[in-house]
Amino acid sequence: MGHGKYIAPPKGQYQVQAGEILNLQFVVLPGESKDIDVSIDLCGPGAEAHLKGMYLCNGNERVNFRIVMHHKAHGCKSTQLFNGIAGGSAQVSFGGTIVVAPDAQQTEAYQENHNIVLTPEAKVDTKPQLEIYADDVKCSHGATVGQLNEDELFYMRSRGIPEKEAKTLQMLSFLSPVIPEGREEEILLSLYHVLE
Amino acid sequence: MLLEIKNLHARVEDKEILNGIDLTIGPGEVHAIMGPNGAGKSTLAAVLTGKPGYEVTEGTVLFQGKDLLAMAPEERAWAGLFLSFQYPIEIPGVTITAFMKAAVNAKRKASGLPEMKTGDFLKLMKEKMAFVQMKPEFAKREVNVGFSGGEKKRNEIFQMALLDPALSILDETDSGLDVDALKIVADGVNTLRSPEKSAIIVTHYHKLLEYVQPDFVHVLKAGCIVKTGGEELIEAIESKGFDQF
Repeated sequence: MGHGKYIAPPKGQYQVQAGEILNLQFVVLPGESKDIDVSIDLCGPGAEAHLKGMYLCNGNERVNFRIVMHHKAHGCKSTQLFNGIAGGSAQVSFGGTIVVAPDAQQTEAYQENHNIVLTPEAKVDTKPQLEIYADDVKCSHGATVGQLNEDELFYMRSRGIPEKEAKTLQMLSFLSPVIPEGREEEILLSLYHVLE
Repeated sequence: MLLEIKNLHARVEDKEILNGIDLTIGPGEVHAIMGPNGAGKSTLAAVLTGKPGYEVTEGTVLFQGKDLLAMAPEERAWAGLFLSFQYPIEIPGVTITAFMKAAVNAKRKASGLPEMKTGDFLKLMKEKMAFVQMKPEFAKREVNVGFSGGEKKRNEIFQMALLDPALSILDETDSGLDVDALKIVADGVNTLRSPEKSAIIVTHYHKLLEYVQPDFVHVLKAGCIVKTGGEELIEAIESKGFDQF
């Protein structure tokens, strides 16, 4: 398994062996519904997996993530950061499970999922889960669902930045930690599209 | 006249806050609005700049002869209105440079001008930052994130200098400032004074007004202007408080 970052296929099972590092990047842009079902086993000591994902959903799209991160050996590390925006009447579900096996001591596992809903019709359901069977572990998970910050929006508008541009700036800054290099322009265009 | 407020009534949710404000501001004038907490000072600033959540129930506001209340907040900015926030907002992920470039270019676009060249913009920004003694590295910082109280207020005055408004409203800009930061803010305001530029200084005490001499002082109580005068009012408030009005 390589060290490079690439766009992950929607479904997949990965076995990461001792000392290997898996980097996966997920990008979902408006225009399609998607089921992303990925399961990762950290099989050998010191294996690492780092996942980043962004999604931008609109219209009637349905986007479902199911990610299972299975720590099976000791000293493995996993990080996950997924940020997404739902507009229109899109529905997003994010299920992220981290399993730490009894033998997987000295595990480090982190997962975060943050969401912004743009309309009352858009729905986001996020369920991070931890199943820990070892005792020497560092694990955390967090999930948020919110809206664009009204105070920030007014502050920008009071300086002359039009509402749509202000919202775009906010969304871009929200997504920026998970935007793959070189795709900023394409994503900016998609953000404008979602606000239309 | 630059600004003409007539019989302005406004409420937040079900609470009446402004109860018939009349105020006229001409070009080049600096007006201080003083009053106890809860008098409606910040509400007046919010209504003038179009903050959502405030409902105008009666009255009119003309800015350069146009109906200010019919304009969106960004249109008010393009027309030359500026509010220095009492509590400046943090915008994580957006740098001061990106923020102000978007603001300057939006205003130019609204007046049919082309976007400013990046080099010219950065030069202008550097000049205005030096003017309020902001360190150059602030250009790359996220807007107000991790700023001290004084840095946030200086950032407001920097934005004011850069946007060059016809009417600036300074909402409690002096609160939470030490003497040095206060002098920087006051110098900023004084330097920007000109025969065309006007300002409203909203405050509940006299600190900033020691450095920036207003042409008119108004006392706001329970949503009404109950007294208008000159600088002598500041001394009267200082010695006897707001209860005398």
